[in-house]
Amino acid sequence: MAIINQASKELHLKIVYYGPGKGGKTTNLEQVHANLGSVQEKGKLISLATSSDRTLFFDFLPIEAMAIKGFKTKFQLYTVPGQVIYNTTRQLVLRGVDGLIFVADSQYEKMAENVESFQNLEDNLRALKLNLADIPYVMQYNKRDLASAAPVDYMEFLLNNRDVRVPSFTSVASKCEGVFESLNMITRMLLNKNINEGSRTAV
Amino acid sequence: MAGLPQLIEEDMRELDAAVDELLRFSEAGAALLIDKGGPLLSQRGAVDKFDATTVAALAAGAFSATDMMARHLGETSLSHIYQQGRQAGLLISNVDDNLLLVVVFPAETGAGAVKYYATAAVARIAAQMQKAAQRAPGAGLDLVSLNTLDLSAVFRKRE
Repeated sequence: MAIINQASKELHLKIVYYGPGKGGKTTNLEQVHANLGSVQEKGKLISLATSSDRTLFFDFLPIEAMAIKGFKTKFQLYTVPGQVIYNTTRQLVLRGVDGLIFVADSQYEKMAENVESFQNLEDNLRALKLNLADIPYVMQYNKRDLASAAPVDYMEFLLNNRDVRVPSFTSVASKCEGVFESLNMITRMLLNKNINEGSRTAV
Repeated sequence: MAGLPQLIEEDMRELDAAVDELLRFSEAGAALLIDKGGPLLSQRGAVDKFDATTVAALAAGAFSATDMMARHLGETSLSHIYQQGRQAGLLISNVDDNLLLVVVFPAETGAGAVKYYATAAVARIAAQMQKAAQRAPGAGLDLVSLNTLDLSAVFRKRE
């Protein structure tokens, strides 16, 4: 749950990008880092990656924004490593998560990996005694520019067919299309949730 | 996971006093009190010499990874991790279920002294956190009273 520090007038929110390997999670963060307007204070983009540029532990981008008058809102954007072998690491990064962006790969041949990754997300949240139904999340269908992209309706049927359908976005993260739209939507959902429910509070 | 309890000014004063005492006695340079999820709760000492937000996120990740590794080896009570460099040393100490204490100190400062005083500070911080948890279990803040700006586009893309 979000942390509010009333003494320093700060609200901390942790957003995690989840999804299958090579789906575009790191690219999302790189695009946010490269294209963020000057109003927001962005920190350094930290990538703990292998020598072949695959995420090993996480990517991390801190951003400060003004969402509530008089309160500094400190966003921490994280990605998880998508590769199957790094499951323990994914669980660690999910600790303290406030909101999620699930980045799915639109290519037909990646559908099984998308579904598996989504199930893995639910399993990992359960291991942390969390329930996906209680955590705001959005779907991002990435790589829409590829010829082998599956129809959005099909992806919605596969990945977004629960009782409550969450907002979904098409994207071409490499061209920064759909990246800010997804981030702004999850931010809005998160702030509205915290406004309604209250948060962990540090003075 | 119960999460952080509601902390009042008295709590923050006591936490800061414990950390300040650690810095004074051990001659360490800076200390951070961080949530295990990564957010920074309090920073004391010479924190302008490094990016505290990033160090907090990395320290939380490093401690979690080491803790998980220890569990896989059958060890369940990891209390500190320690790194010594040529110019600086780093000690990350477990406070309780939610918090970590990160101490950054110059290489010439004795690691033994830092660890000794950190242990005392951790006990003092944990006691105050327990006091806070008992004072108002499950308390939160009603954000309705806060003044939200336009939430439709908090992040704006550069034109």
